[in-house]
This record gives sequence, C-alpha cells and structure tokens, in this order.
Amino acid sequence: MTYDDDAAKLTELGRALPGIDLDASSAARIAQRARWNIGRGPSLMRFVEPAIAAVLAASYLVWAIAKVFEALR
Amino acid sequence: MQPRGIAGVTPGVVVRSSCDADERAWVLGLRRGDAAAFDAAFAGYRRRLYSYLVRMTRRRDVAEDLLQETFLRLAQHAGKLDPGTRLGAWLFTVAHRLVVSWARAQAVRNQLAGDLPRREVAHDDRSPLEALADSQAQLALERAFAALAPAYREVALLVGVEGLPPAEVAQILGQKPEAIRQRLARARTQLAEALGEHAPASWRTP
Repeated sequence: MTYDDDAAKLTELGRALPGIDLDASSAARIAQRARWNIGRGPSLMRFVEPAIAAVLAASYLVWAIAKVFEALR
Repeated sequence: MQPRGIAGVTPGVVVRSSCDADERAWVLGLRRGDAAAFDAAFAGYRRRLYSYLVRMTRRRDVAEDLLQETFLRLAQHAGKLDPGTRLGAWLFTVAHRLVVSWARAQAVRNQLAGDLPRREVAHDDRSPLEALADSQAQLALERAFAALAPAYREVALLVGVEGLPPAEVAQILGQKPEAIRQRLARARTQLAEALGEHAPASWRTP
C-alpha cells in the first residue's frame, strides 16, 4: 500500500467526518479580540513575566552563594 | 512566533476549501494590517482549525481557547508574514504547537493529581464529539479516530480531513515525510480494525 493509497482511503473516510463549528457569539468574540491585536505584536507581559522570574531566581542564587561564602569564612 | 520553513512549501495536488489566490490576497492584506483580510482568513479557517483542535484535545472549551490563541498569534504576526506564506500551513503549525504544549501541561497535571481520589462526574457516556454523530456509522468513525494515538490521529486528520500533502504535513509537525507516511499507514490500519463493519466498502477489498 503506497502513501497515495493510504491518503486516498483516509480522504474518503475524512469526508464522512462532520465539520465542527463554534457558536456564533464565541466566534465573534474571538475574532474581535484577535482583530484588535492586528499589528500590535506579542504582549509585553510575555517578556516581562519571564524577566521578573529570572531576576528573582538570580537574586536568590547570589544570596545563596553569599551565604555559602559567609559560612566558609 | 513565525513557524519556520512554511513559506516555501510546494503546493500539493489536493482539493482545498479556500483557493490559493484567496490565501495570497489574505496574506498581503494581513501584512498591511487590513482587518477585512483578517476577517476573511478567520471565516476561511475557523471551522477547519476548530474541528482539528476539538478532535485533538477532545474538549470544546480547550479547543476554543487554543483557537483564540492561534488567531491572536496570526494578528500579532500579521505584519511579519512573508508574502509567500501558505496561511493554512502557518495556522495549522501554530495550532499543532499549541496542542503539544497543552498536552504536555495536561500530562504534568495528571501526574501531580495521580494520588488524588477521582471525582465522579455525572454525565452520559458519550463524548461531545460522539454527541454530534447522527448515525451509527458516524459514531463509529468518531470513536475510531478518538481511539488513535495522538500522533496517528493528527496525521490522519491533516491528510484525510484537511487534504494536506505529506510535505506540508511534515513541515507542520516538524517531522520527516517518511515518518508521516509510516504514521499514515498505521493510522489507516488501526482505523480499519476499529471500524470493522462500519469501514467503507473500498476498505474491505484488498
């Protein structure tokens, strides 16, 4: 059985699967929200949150290393 | 996040619900920030993406969230789209990555909740997908697709339902075309076994 045979048989089966759609109000809400973001680029929070987490983790690491040195003195 | 390697996919000889010329016009419109182009792309792909997401996650609420995220990313990256971008492949790549992330998070959640007693929920024993089926054959088909392993189900949906060519499916899933062919062959075998008497007549003849 070749790829084309497999694809043709699955396409035949796929035609019997009904498409599933959202209700109109959810679709309108999603479209409106996405449309508002056209050309705006990713949200700044996408970069700010990891940056805050990185600063906190780095501060904790520095504090832990300082404590180790303090104990060794 | 611009999916890599999608813009130059060679179009396959398949029937598509939206024609390539429309798609090119939508991409050019999106690059200009044209809301009408976005609306046209949304109308053209909403149902296809939602069907794919529902069948991959088996949850309408999750599928709705992932659909929203897919189109949000399209809106956010509209200006950066390459003029030759194949929009369908771009959208399915984003949707696929969102499904993978969701599945990973779900696996971690299930692992963490493994020791907790299961909450009994009162419901009938049909999934939302099965509730859509209006005949025994369609019910058997939904169940057969749902029973496939996610990797096989995804290939079966993208090739069988969406009619995408193997090169494009390989790029969407980040796999080699050979792996896609193998998954497709296994998906077909498993579907034939699961469908039994509900399989189309042509499937039963060697």
